[in-house]
Amino acid sequence: MIVLRVLLYAVISLVTVFLVILLGERGAWYFAWVLGTVMIVLISAAGGALLDAQEEAGSSDD
Amino acid sequence: MELYAILKVIWWLLLGVLLIGLAVMVGMDMGIGAALRYFGRTDGERRAVLNMIGPHWDGNQVWFILGGGAVFAAWPTIYATAFSGLYVVMLLLLWSMIIRPLGFEYRSKLPSPVWRNVWDWGLFVSGLLPMVIFGAAIGNMLRGVPFHFNWDLESWYTGSFISLFNPFAILCGLMSLALALYQGSAMVMNRGDGAIRERARKLGLWAGPAGLILFTAGGFWVARLPGYVLTAGDDPAGPAMPLHKTVEVVQGAWLHNFSAHPVLWLVPALVYVSIMAGVWSLQRGWSHLGWWLGALGWIGTIGTVGAAMFPFMMPSSSNPSQSLTVWDASSSQTTLLWMLGWTVVFVPIVVIYTSWAFWVMRGKVTPAQVEGDDHAY
Amino acid sequence: MHNMQTVVDLSRWQFAATALYHFLFVPLTLGLTFLLAAMETVYVTTGRKIYKEMAIFWGKLFAINFALGVATGLTMEFEFGTNWAQYSRFVGDVFGAPLAIEGLMAFFLESTFVGLMLFGWDRMSRGKHLLVTYMVALGSNLSALWILIANGFMQSPHGATFDPITMRMELSSFTDLIFNHDAQAKFVHTSIAGYVTAAVFVAGISGWYMLRNRHMELAKRSFRMAVLFGVFASVGVISLGDALGFIDGHAQPAKLVAMESLWHTRTPPVGFNVIAFPSQKQQRNLYALKIPDLLTPLVTHSMNTVIPGADEVEQNAMVRMRDGIPAVLALKTLSAEPSNQAALAQFDAHKKDMGYALLLERFAPDLAAATPTDYERAARSVIPDVAVIFWSFRIMVLAGFAMLFFLGLGAFCSLNNKVHERRWLLKLAPWFIPVPYIACEAGWLVAEMGRQPWTVYGVFPTWMSASTQSVAYMVFSLAGFVLIYSIFIAVEMYLMVKFIRKGPDDGATAMLAH
Repeated sequence: MIVLRVLLYAVISLVTVFLVILLGERGAWYFAWVLGTVMIVLISAAGGALLDAQEEAGSSDD
Repeated sequence: MELYAILKVIWWLLLGVLLIGLAVMVGMDMGIGAALRYFGRTDGERRAVLNMIGPHWDGNQVWFILGGGAVFAAWPTIYATAFSGLYVVMLLLLWSMIIRPLGFEYRSKLPSPVWRNVWDWGLFVSGLLPMVIFGAAIGNMLRGVPFHFNWDLESWYTGSFISLFNPFAILCGLMSLALALYQGSAMVMNRGDGAIRERARKLGLWAGPAGLILFTAGGFWVARLPGYVLTAGDDPAGPAMPLHKTVEVVQGAWLHNFSAHPVLWLVPALVYVSIMAGVWSLQRGWSHLGWWLGALGWIGTIGTVGAAMFPFMMPSSSNPSQSLTVWDASSSQTTLLWMLGWTVVFVPIVVIYTSWAFWVMRGKVTPAQVEGDDHAY
Repeated sequence: MHNMQTVVDLSRWQFAATALYHFLFVPLTLGLTFLLAAMETVYVTTGRKIYKEMAIFWGKLFAINFALGVATGLTMEFEFGTNWAQYSRFVGDVFGAPLAIEGLMAFFLESTFVGLMLFGWDRMSRGKHLLVTYMVALGSNLSALWILIANGFMQSPHGATFDPITMRMELSSFTDLIFNHDAQAKFVHTSIAGYVTAAVFVAGISGWYMLRNRHMELAKRSFRMAVLFGVFASVGVISLGDALGFIDGHAQPAKLVAMESLWHTRTPPVGFNVIAFPSQKQQRNLYALKIPDLLTPLVTHSMNTVIPGADEVEQNAMVRMRDGIPAVLALKTLSAEPSNQAALAQFDAHKKDMGYALLLERFAPDLAAATPTDYERAARSVIPDVAVIFWSFRIMVLAGFAMLFFLGLGAFCSLNNKVHERRWLLKLAPWFIPVPYIACEAGWLVAEMGRQPWTVYGVFPTWMSASTQSVAYMVFSLAGFVLIYSIFIAVEMYLMVKFIRKGPDDGATAMLAH
């Protein structure tokens, strides 16, 4: 199983490197979309998690 | 053979693969849609039947979309000529097909029986009509379609829309419907229980032989039909330009390929063997085996048409020399090569995750189970 | 073909109507899938059930919308062939490839996994289900990618050359096709316009719930995630819009003329028309409210680049029409004798302007006998409908900034965790739901009407692109679409509103228990 997992991560990192090289050269906007989308999803998710923290802080103050 | 000619043949075969994928996967869903009110007598039963293919119909439908896209990319002249020539038929096909996504998605969203009945009949139409048109379109290709080109390859269709529903085309349409009903029945047997499964078995036992009878009748009819023979021009590796060849119309010419290469008789034989074996396995209740045998039956059916017509793809009945063939209707070598690359990479991936999706959703679907599931259709 | 103008016009109406209709459902799909994925990510990482409820509830609304997107998308694939057969044959070698790859790479991914996303909650582990949701999001956006690569070719044809033997455009470089700057900017612009649409949609409905004190936990969290998602996305949409304007300004000067209602070439820097009432006939603005010197830096990113006005664009077109005529005449010879060397040489010398001669052919069927009036009329036709494009553009930009402002305010209030107390904002939120739709449709009009009179800019004119249908067939199909699509939208809106009103708790479970 571990071998499979290592293999999987190796493939993912290879694809990533390949994408960066390929898109960085000629597809700058495509690359920006990949980065931007990841960023927007993460910020949105973090914003949700932050709300939980705020609510808990608020209720413990009461 | 030169690379370009090889690529053309490969894409001709791939078109066959896509048509088979479409016929098997979409045909199965449409067969289920057309017979929904027969498989399920109560609303609960109908919902159970719908949910057997609920998670998959959308993915299956992509075979149809991809078929269209591949014809556009690899056989642009055929895409343009056929879609515009068969205008009204194409619209009927489209309009009946677009009811289906809504039928699945909206039917069970409201409890009203009237609402659900309306969508049931919508699913009936959007299962029955497209399969008949699909078969009829292939029948019309065998008969030839009246079209010609201007000097700049602007295509003109000169027939009427009614003439596309000629007796031979309707026979092919019914044959395609019969195989779809068979395939749908096998799927419902796979995933259904009790009364639903029994009804599906009955329909399958009826639809399989009906398909075989229609196939046989069609075969005898084709033998008497005028076929097309390439007499000059049309270099297999030449540019895709359909105006520089001569074609003759000869009675029974669609059998020439079979008499030249008798081994081709194995292709129609496959239809008989697999459908008969399929009916036998449905009889014994081995519906999974029956499903795969039905798929083999489709391979044989579409393969038979391809073997008869090669190298013709869309013969012109009004101007035979402007018929579209494998050699003069394809894309350029560059496009065929690139598209082959994409296909080789992505088709295996698609097959893997589609199989995974079926595996995840495997098992019987019963009315009781659907009743208790918030996510069901 | 010359008496077929009615068929061309009806085909254009039909295509525009069905495409605009399809585009009512696409943006929400593009954005909501990623927003669902974000919600589910929080569920998987924190294990809080509320986020799963969010993903399921918004997923139900997603499914209602998605079904119509799938249905109307089928129409689009048919219509190229049924109504634009000459176009399809002319560019199928280039244009068909991205459409086929769209099916292979994107539709299969999206459609196979959407079934698992909606039905597979209890059938697999959390992590696997999250992966499935991401695959749906990726698949739907990849389909946007490939269709916009195809569209990018129509806007700014790269990667193909015209072959005089097969008489069509043939692919010369696949990488030029996919890395086309127009396609790149347009894909990112469209995809994240979808993100904004989804953000405003979710924020609007969440605001409506909060105002009624319903489903507070779910609504607060959905609102927070949506506005954060949207505020960054709308910044992206606006900056990409600017980039797209810059790219299109170079690739399609006539579109820029129409977007800015710029009839005359002037020494830079030129002023920006905030408001204008253009007259296509008189080739001038009946009235214009200008900000001096602003346009040049806006569209050229410099102070001294000349922006060609309608007069210059028309002049250039006339020169190119004249130059293209020998190429079209040579084609006729080549159709009968493909190996005629003189004709080949003549074609090669004039091929770069062939499209303009084809444009002239609409007004002068016998090209060799074209009169100055024919040239004049053909040149005039090079400028698309200025009034429609000018105003659509302004509506889109205004809507874009309004949404940025709204989402920014929402993000500010939500981050302070005060949003449920800001009743004015909650009241405003549902009213914003139509705004992204208006912006998307207006953007489509600018892009596609601005490309007229071409289907492939500068290469193949619209008047030659349609199928050889009868007017009766066109009326039949148009009537059929109007009927079916009207029923569809009524049903969709009814279900959507019903399920929104029912809300997450009672709605989803009680309805289906019947």
